[in-house]
Amino acid sequence: MVENRPFGNILAHLVLIVGVLVIVFPVYMAFVASTWDPATIANGKLGLLPGPYLVENYSRILFEGTGRTTRAHVDTMLFNSFVSAMIIATGKIAISLISSYAIVYFRFPFRMVAFWLIFLTLMFPVEVRIYPTYKIVADLGLLDTYTGLSVPLIASATATLLFRQFFMTVPDELLEAAKIDAAGPLRFFKDVLLPLSRTNIAALFVILFIYGWNQYLWPLLITTRDDMQTVVIGIKKIVAVQDALTEWQLAMATAILAMLPPVLVVVVMQKLFVKGLVETEK
Amino acid sequence: MASVLLDRVFKTYPGGFTAVKGVSFAVPDGGFCVLVGPSGCGKSTLLRMIAGLETISDGAVSIGDRVVNKVEPMDRDIAMVFQNYALYPHMSVYDNMAYGLRNLKTPEPEIRARVSEAARILELDDDMLKRKPRQLSGGQRQRVAMGRAIVRKPAVFLFDEPLSNLDAKLRVQMRIEIRKLQRRLKTTSVYVTHDQLEAMTLADMLVVMNAGRVEQVGAPLELYERPASVFVAGFLGSPPMNFLDGMIEKPGLVRLSGGGELAYDPAHFGPPLGAEVKAGVRPERVTFAKEGAGLSFALELVEELGLGQLVHGRVAGNDFTVALPASHNAPSGETQKLAILPDAVHLFDRKTGARL
Repeated sequence: MVENRPFGNILAHLVLIVGVLVIVFPVYMAFVASTWDPATIANGKLGLLPGPYLVENYSRILFEGTGRTTRAHVDTMLFNSFVSAMIIATGKIAISLISSYAIVYFRFPFRMVAFWLIFLTLMFPVEVRIYPTYKIVADLGLLDTYTGLSVPLIASATATLLFRQFFMTVPDELLEAAKIDAAGPLRFFKDVLLPLSRTNIAALFVILFIYGWNQYLWPLLITTRDDMQTVVIGIKKIVAVQDALTEWQLAMATAILAMLPPVLVVVVMQKLFVKGLVETEK
Repeated sequence: MASVLLDRVFKTYPGGFTAVKGVSFAVPDGGFCVLVGPSGCGKSTLLRMIAGLETISDGAVSIGDRVVNKVEPMDRDIAMVFQNYALYPHMSVYDNMAYGLRNLKTPEPEIRARVSEAARILELDDDMLKRKPRQLSGGQRQRVAMGRAIVRKPAVFLFDEPLSNLDAKLRVQMRIEIRKLQRRLKTTSVYVTHDQLEAMTLADMLVVMNAGRVEQVGAPLELYERPASVFVAGFLGSPPMNFLDGMIEKPGLVRLSGGGELAYDPAHFGPPLGAEVKAGVRPERVTFAKEGAGLSFALELVEELGLGQLVHGRVAGNDFTVALPASHNAPSGETQKLAILPDAVHLFDRKTGARL
């Protein structure tokens, strides 16, 4: 801000505070709900203050299982989610770095065809091609595996496009200087291009990790065993019970736990994330 | 140490545009060759062909005794300084200079020795070696870029307009440093610039290019004093040479198209009578006559340089500039008479532009 008027500042802060409250309040209520017993929640007596069942609820979902329908522990689910989100994020970044390097820096036959093919996949997200993808994964015997959970989600045009745009802004002279400095294509990639893409990689990692973590439809199809479920599905299964009281306190506790890893990733990588989206470091 | 030889070199781009049209010249071992010309004349393309960054469409480029047409840049034993320096932004200054050597698997102690020697030559201190390029000023980056070239101990240095991103004062300073450095290292150098002053001061050997062709090759003073064409005559020198159109009336005399006559030295030029010519006169070879029957000069503007004066006006329908040393008083009055010695006059063919 160029201007610095106290009244404007106060107003801006008020608006921001209201905005934060709007976002934070439901999260806080989820936390409050996760510390009460089901009766209180069902009777609508839930107040604004945390209740006495915090330890009991959390230890139950972590060590005994999540409820009447699923027996999987939340820690297993968190682990599954974490592994598949990590594979998706790193796999996507690795593949799109390599493919955009090829597209930007190499002249090979059908280069533009390759580029447009990658571009076209933007129009085919998993939801659109879900049946053929499921068929292939099932035929390959990859149901209930981490590979099956993550690999079909890895192919990504967005990340390839992002790196392509970034690589095209890297001055040609750097490549030429590297050529004269006796750096071959692989060395140029490793020593110059990768370090320059550091902030972009970080920003993409945050986005892709959350993308992988939040997957719902695909894991729902591909996992049948309780011990391979991801946490997002776990929440859904706790909520969707028939002929019984939904154990909202467990659902909320799971939701709170499910929220933590992505939040941690954002907090840890925030600096790089913002840099990657805003700054063009050259 | 090596000579650089270009033999009828052509560069044609896939679109059909020919940027370099049959250029041949030889840079002797240890020589400082400057390629100069207006933008788009093909000088940078030519340099990049010597570096191996552009393919050679036809002809041969040799470094030392070896034709390098098909040799990769890294195997040509060259180092290049780029216009925008092309330093690796994420590496420290030290790593920038060491990078090429590391890729060549030079032992680390040797790298350290060479980098510190280069740093000493370029007056980069230890603190600066640890910094990143973006923490340096333009002049310092320029030094690092040169350091990166020096540590390689190449046979040939290639400079691609290395000073054009610097401010005027620094440019003069770095120009002197580059010249000193080259004298000291005695490495064959090819230097590209569009700045004729830079070209004149740096070169042992000047190559003036225009539209993909070489206009003239030679020592800077030789080119200045005996330009082979109107283009070279007009390009070298600031302010540029004055040109007047005319016709040879009799040996030693040009009748100007805009009226008036100009005497030249018939011992130097022997065009046939009646030839259409362009007469050229350097601004500093002209003075104002106290009286007499010189060409009449209609004064328009006087520029005071401190070092002297530039007097702009019109002669026989053409723009004309006279450069006076500081000791002269600025002329007063609207019209002046010019005093031009016959041996100050250059004659060029008006159609071809070639020296007669």
